[in-house]
Amino acid sequence: MSETFEPEIIAFVCTYCTYAGADLAGTSRLKYAPNVRIIRLPCTGRISPMFILKALQKGADGVLISGCHPGDCHFTHGNYHARRRWMVFRALLDFIGIPPERVKYSWISAAEGVKFAEFINTVTEDIRKLGPFEQYTQLIEQTQAPASL
Amino acid sequence: MSIEEQYRTRAKELLSGGAVKMVIGYSKGSNASRRRPLFISSPDDVDRLVLDDACIQNLSGYLVSEGLLSDEKRVAVFLRPEGIRAINILAAESQLDAEQIVVFGFDVIGNEVQALKVIHVEEFSDVINSIKERAPEAAEEELFERIEKMSPKERFSFWQEEFSKCIKCYACRQACPMCYCRRCIVDSNQPQWVNTSSHTLGNFEWNIVRAFHLSGRCVECGNCDRACPVNIPLRLINHRMAEEVLGAFDHFAGTSKTQEPVLASFKKDDSETFIL
Repeated sequence: MSETFEPEIIAFVCTYCTYAGADLAGTSRLKYAPNVRIIRLPCTGRISPMFILKALQKGADGVLISGCHPGDCHFTHGNYHARRRWMVFRALLDFIGIPPERVKYSWISAAEGVKFAEFINTVTEDIRKLGPFEQYTQLIEQTQAPASL
Repeated sequence: MSIEEQYRTRAKELLSGGAVKMVIGYSKGSNASRRRPLFISSPDDVDRLVLDDACIQNLSGYLVSEGLLSDEKRVAVFLRPEGIRAINILAAESQLDAEQIVVFGFDVIGNEVQALKVIHVEEFSDVINSIKERAPEAAEEELFERIEKMSPKERFSFWQEEFSKCIKCYACRQACPMCYCRRCIVDSNQPQWVNTSSHTLGNFEWNIVRAFHLSGRCVECGNCDRACPVNIPLRLINHRMAEEVLGAFDHFAGTSKTQEPVLASFKKDDSETFIL
């Protein structure tokens, strides 16, 4: 392969922890892979599985989800609810044949700028190794429909 | 006296005494092996009730029909153990008051119809717990195991093939006692989460969403599976989800009417091995 594959990754992050962590990574001038598009949400509990499906539907090669460590949630337990939901949703994706490696989860606090940069780098590398999500891209092409969002 | 006759007599008593306003049961269907839901409110009609091993549909979904229970009168219904679990879930989710339901419980073991003697939903906990112990098996065990053993790519192809048949008729949703939302997510178009046309991508999304919304709630009655006009093995997905919540959170849907819904509750020490 002459050109390396550049995956497109969508990150859904909580504004109180990971987004602040990303900010810290930026102000600390840490360099990380530019493949990630970050979407800021009020809490990990706000992340509906629909968001993940929508990201894939729009051609994302990977999805990344990150929020506050257990016990640190701004809303006290949004992340505990989210954790259960992901546990079940992961199993579902796996059973349907969407590789769980394409959807990654992590806890990153506002103080963990370094962890954020490293996390983005490893995830990008992992997804690059997996390659484009061809099976899904084919389905998207079949629809021949313009983006509805 | 056969169970069918016993239940007919009891239905007659309840209806003529005014203890219930309606009995939901089974009547003869379009051919010898089919049964059709029957709704009777007059004691003269009880002879149309049929109870045998062909009565497989879960009738609990009719109880959440709009306005049926709002006059606070009681309704009697023929239910298998799965149906009783469904009532528990609906009660736990505040969709109905279990006090208003009189249960004509029965189970089919082999070809034998057996009566479940009690009449109130909460009295069935032994029956339900015994099912939990038995750990219900997937209807098509062999196929289920085959899918489990596939690589993700093969699994994707398998479901791609299955979902390409889907015509988005939403019969699975209509048949399911748990799909009571006034406005389903697929009917909302701002934003349009799921593609409405029945191309395979939209079908994937619809079926994923349906299964996700049923995880921890599905009682595996098989209504969706039987309603599907193109025979997509929906029950397998539901079974996988039930297995997951049982394994991860020790949650068996519908054990009591006060059971907390699994995805609306949490424990601080839930497993999180997959989170980096």
